Amino acid sequence: MDFLLLLLASGLVSGAAYGLIAMGFALIFKSTGVVNFAQGELVMLTAYISFTLYSTFDLSFFPLMLVTIPISMAIGLVLERLFIRPMLGEPIFAIVMVTVGLAVVLRGITIMAWGPDPFNFNAGIPTRVVTLGGVPFYPAQLYLIGALGVLTAAGWAFLRFSRMGIAMRAVAANETAALLVGISVSRIHAIAWMLSAAIASIAGVLFAANFKLAPDLWFQGLRAFPAVILGGMDSVIGSAVAGLVIGVIENLFQGYVGQGLREISGFIVIIIVLMVRPFGLFGSKDIERV
Amino acid sequence: MKNGLLALSAFLLASTASYAADPGVSDTEIKIGDVNIMTGPASFIGRAVSVGSKIAAAEINEAGGVNGRKITIITEDDGYVPARSFQALTKLIEVDEIFALNGTSGTANVLAMMPLIEENNLPTVVTTAPNELVYQPVRPSVFTVGASYSDAFYAQLKYIHENTEPENAVYGLIRQDDDFGGAVEAGYDRAVKEFGVKDGLRIRFKKGTANFAAEVAQMRQAGVNVLANGGIIAGAANILSEARKLSMDLQVASVWSEDMPPSVNLSAPAGYDYLVADYVALSGPAIDAFLEKAKKYASDEEVAAINRYTYVTYVGLKALAEAMGQCGQDLTRACTVEKLRELKDFDTQGISAPLSFDNPEQLSGTAVAVYQLNAAEKTFTALTDFADY
Repeated sequence: MDFLLLLLASGLVSGAAYGLIAMGFALIFKSTGVVNFAQGELVMLTAYISFTLYSTFDLSFFPLMLVTIPISMAIGLVLERLFIRPMLGEPIFAIVMVTVGLAVVLRGITIMAWGPDPFNFNAGIPTRVVTLGGVPFYPAQLYLIGALGVLTAAGWAFLRFSRMGIAMRAVAANETAALLVGISVSRIHAIAWMLSAAIASIAGVLFAANFKLAPDLWFQGLRAFPAVILGGMDSVIGSAVAGLVIGVIENLFQGYVGQGLREISGFIVIIIVLMVRPFGLFGSKDIERV
Repeated sequence: MKNGLLALSAFLLASTASYAADPGVSDTEIKIGDVNIMTGPASFIGRAVSVGSKIAAAEINEAGGVNGRKITIITEDDGYVPARSFQALTKLIEVDEIFALNGTSGTANVLAMMPLIEENNLPTVVTTAPNELVYQPVRPSVFTVGASYSDAFYAQLKYIHENTEPENAVYGLIRQDDDFGGAVEAGYDRAVKEFGVKDGLRIRFKKGTANFAAEVAQMRQAGVNVLANGGIIAGAANILSEARKLSMDLQVASVWSEDMPPSVNLSAPAGYDYLVADYVALSGPAIDAFLEKAKKYASDEEVAAINRYTYVTYVGLKALAEAMGQCGQDLTRACTVEKLRELKDFDTQGISAPLSFDNPEQLSGTAVAVYQLNAAEKTFTALTDFADY
């Protein structure tokens, strides 16, 4: 029982990381129809920026995020304006290739600016072990799970009730119709990139606080991608839930079956789910896959 | 007119003396190539390697060079990509016309360069990839410095078994699912069989894994209290961090990458005074003397980049220079290779065990010493002398 609880807890931690990163993917896809292959690099870049802020100003977690998030949103806006906006009207495939190029550039910039050495980055979160229901956690692990919960709830409320969220759903449903009723589609695209960068920064900081800050952090973007597929490419909330599902399944497989089946297990689940629901657990039936 | 022709002939004959020698050697200079990881996540290795070559060259040159010829190091970046290693060495051979090679990047990289090395009979000292694939089969001009991961893990587990083994010891292994992990497991396997201890659990993981919570929970479930930690850098640190969370009392054996300052900075907060075994010294008078030397020949930034790879490349170039020196003024690649093959008990001033390439594999530096980290002070203490296992 103790062992099972440990596996479930660790599954929720890694699942929360997947979920947060996947939410960023889904948000951009939902609003723009583009798979942002630079999402992992955005996670990495914003985490390094936060690390510099932390090292310079010695901030605790919440003040640190209060500074990191706006900077990340500004980066998201700049990237959208410089690289994505000029591609409006071009084939989706071309825009996706731009994000691939962007990924390489961001990776290079990060290593150039911060070097290749990995860092310990606790993000102002205490490192003393706490026990909940007999299961030990680092506080950063609880912050990670908590952040996913808060962002999922906030994301649901935003898309469901806010004017901007409804406009975003309208653009996702039918871009031309949204334009005709006076919604600024380009503005929605920019906001999607800003929000996605904000989520990326939270994911990046909390991932680094749990698993060190290193230049291969971008790779977590690829590792989280199955969660986007499983949840549904256009479902922000679905991606978050799917992240948890994959995290828990991976850890249970590793714990009880073992020997490298962690990675395979997530994909087995995806194959099975997609055979039954090709649009993912929470996705729309008519989405265009790229 | 006749005298003029004679003078011209004499001049051409004299000048061909230097053209007749192998590339990379002039009356005043010897060019040594260095293909290295200068960019990308693994560039902290390349930077350290590069500093090692630089310090050795500066020291040799200050002492008058190799029979009056100064050593010039020419570094090319391969970004840890084997195809780029091949391109880099092609450039070093054809454009820079190097005489010999000291930096050779990783195992796959040196293997990618091997056809060029063999074709040009390029004297090559491999210091950062002591892999069996590099020295078997033996290539005539390739000389390898370094121990195997297998011996390194065996040495540590032997030390634990003989000195600090806990009661009811249960051994466990966590390692990458690749050749490197296989070498780690070979040492572990030899140890548990030879010592007759309980082999609790062996776990493989994919390179790049960050979250080891499930694996460490499995270790705890199996009652492991002696851990062969085959993770490297952030991976090794994350394993120890999870063990700390589960309050596991562990004796830990580690990969030698864990004696590098960036690795120590990541792992030390977990509080485990882990062991490493290495074929270069990590502390003591030899390293103190080397660091003093480094301050003289390298910038502050370069000194900060020093780690074990610096030491091993330093001794590699010193050995190469010794062989070149023994060839006298008629320096050729063939002579250098022959002298390297005859090298025996070359004194590295305590940085590693003495180097000898006079063996069928042209392999040296296989002796390792076991060190223990003081996690609070981030320093290493030698527990054993260099020994072959």
